[in-house]
Amino acid sequence: MSTPKAVILDGDGIRRSLRRIAHEIIERQPDLEHLTILGIVTRGVPLAQRLAQLLHELEGIAPPVIPLDVRGYRDDLPRSQAPPPALPADRVKDRPVLLVDDVLFNGRTARAAVDAVVAAGRPLLIQLAVLVDRGHRELPIRPDYVGKNVPTSRQEWVEVHLSEIDGEDSVRILERDGA
Amino acid sequence: MSDSLVAPTAAPARHLVSPSDLDLPLVESLLALASDMERQGQSPAQAPLRGRIMASVFYEPSTRTRFSFEAAMLRLGGQVISVESAATGSSAAKGESLEDAVRIIGGYADLIVLRHPEIGAAERAARVSPVPLVNAGDGAGHHPTQALLDLYTIKKECGRLDHLRIVMSGDLKFGRTARSLALLLARYPGNQLTLVSPDELRLGEDVRHQLHRTGVSIRDERDLSAAAAGADVLYQTRIQRERFASVTEYDQVRSVSRVDAALMRRLPEHAIVMHPLPRLDEIDESVDSDPRAAYFRQARNGLFVRMAVLYWLAMGT
Repeated sequence: MSTPKAVILDGDGIRRSLRRIAHEIIERQPDLEHLTILGIVTRGVPLAQRLAQLLHELEGIAPPVIPLDVRGYRDDLPRSQAPPPALPADRVKDRPVLLVDDVLFNGRTARAAVDAVVAAGRPLLIQLAVLVDRGHRELPIRPDYVGKNVPTSRQEWVEVHLSEIDGEDSVRILERDGA
Repeated sequence: MSDSLVAPTAAPARHLVSPSDLDLPLVESLLALASDMERQGQSPAQAPLRGRIMASVFYEPSTRTRFSFEAAMLRLGGQVISVESAATGSSAAKGESLEDAVRIIGGYADLIVLRHPEIGAAERAARVSPVPLVNAGDGAGHHPTQALLDLYTIKKECGRLDHLRIVMSGDLKFGRTARSLALLLARYPGNQLTLVSPDELRLGEDVRHQLHRTGVSIRDERDLSAAAAGADVLYQTRIQRERFASVTEYDQVRSVSRVDAALMRRLPEHAIVMHPLPRLDEIDESVDSDPRAAYFRQARNGLFVRMAVLYWLAMGT
């Protein structure tokens, strides 16, 4: 199992990170009007929803948030276990797409998400926003928006709790026992 | 990879009980998802909810709502277990509480769809449900998926959800669909609501108070024909005979709030007529063939909207 080591973001920290990301999206996203936000299942969905809420408060635009289940596109899980996502071509075709996830680690989920989007249609561009980047990439993947960079060892574990799912907001580093 | 996806934590589920669970970004997301569902055809080949089970628990009769929820789940590749008349055909007949029933059913199913005759029943059930729960109508309380499918229909037919002139007619006091829809329309700028109902069935002060706070314009009007002349959307609802002291009063109200050929001549060419159905005779059958009659298209939209809601809730939000 694992032992808790440190809380690296509390509720206020998560709120501030998302607010900053929302401002960066407004600055750097060329076509907010047509943006589709894809929340990567599970915890990317509430994070994407919070970003959409902030964009609505700040700019009066509420981009649609669609849950994206990428398990069918992962390279380390049996493909038969999960169906590919239900994403119609014109949801992404010629539109800017923003992928949202909680933790960016080796980059395999992000790659699967890019594959899922490209399989559906040809987007104008794809960007990636994550709450935590913990390093250790195994693929050439780079996030466009990061809530917090957290240098970790491979033995450590980052656990994100969100109130919509877990009843509280926090990001913790855990140490795997026996490591 | 989401670390948390590998190490899942036991979590309270999200529910859809009332319009207050729907902020504007979520409404926009569900409408977009519903439109995706519609464009993919009725059966997304990928069956995204394969392996999941929805329990439909109806303590009150309903054909349309139950069928459209069950069809939505099946079209997403999921499966359905159901009690057709839970009040008599389940352990409720033995005196089991709603809360206990929901706890038990939540152990067997991944989603619960609940229809119950008491206001607040869905809220009580959601508090104890271990899995996402959708309110499919609780008495004169709320019916959020109906309000969503109404919004979806307006957006699809009129091209927008803001700066619309909406006339609501009929039973605005007990009709939960009109109440929920009015609250959701008030989230969008520039909408004008015109309310046409007999004094006995006026929109409740609770909803009026909430609407006033949003700044939406509300006007009461006696004459449906006059109101219809300036409408983009005419939302007609059913008036139930038992709301009136006498048949004479009932007949009097019905005769002045009927949508018929004469009324359709007053309604602008671009406008639409909606109705949550079932209808009695508050819309004359001769209106059905008019292209502005949107109520059967509206009922069909319920399928796509419920697919979107089930997909959203099943994806663990």
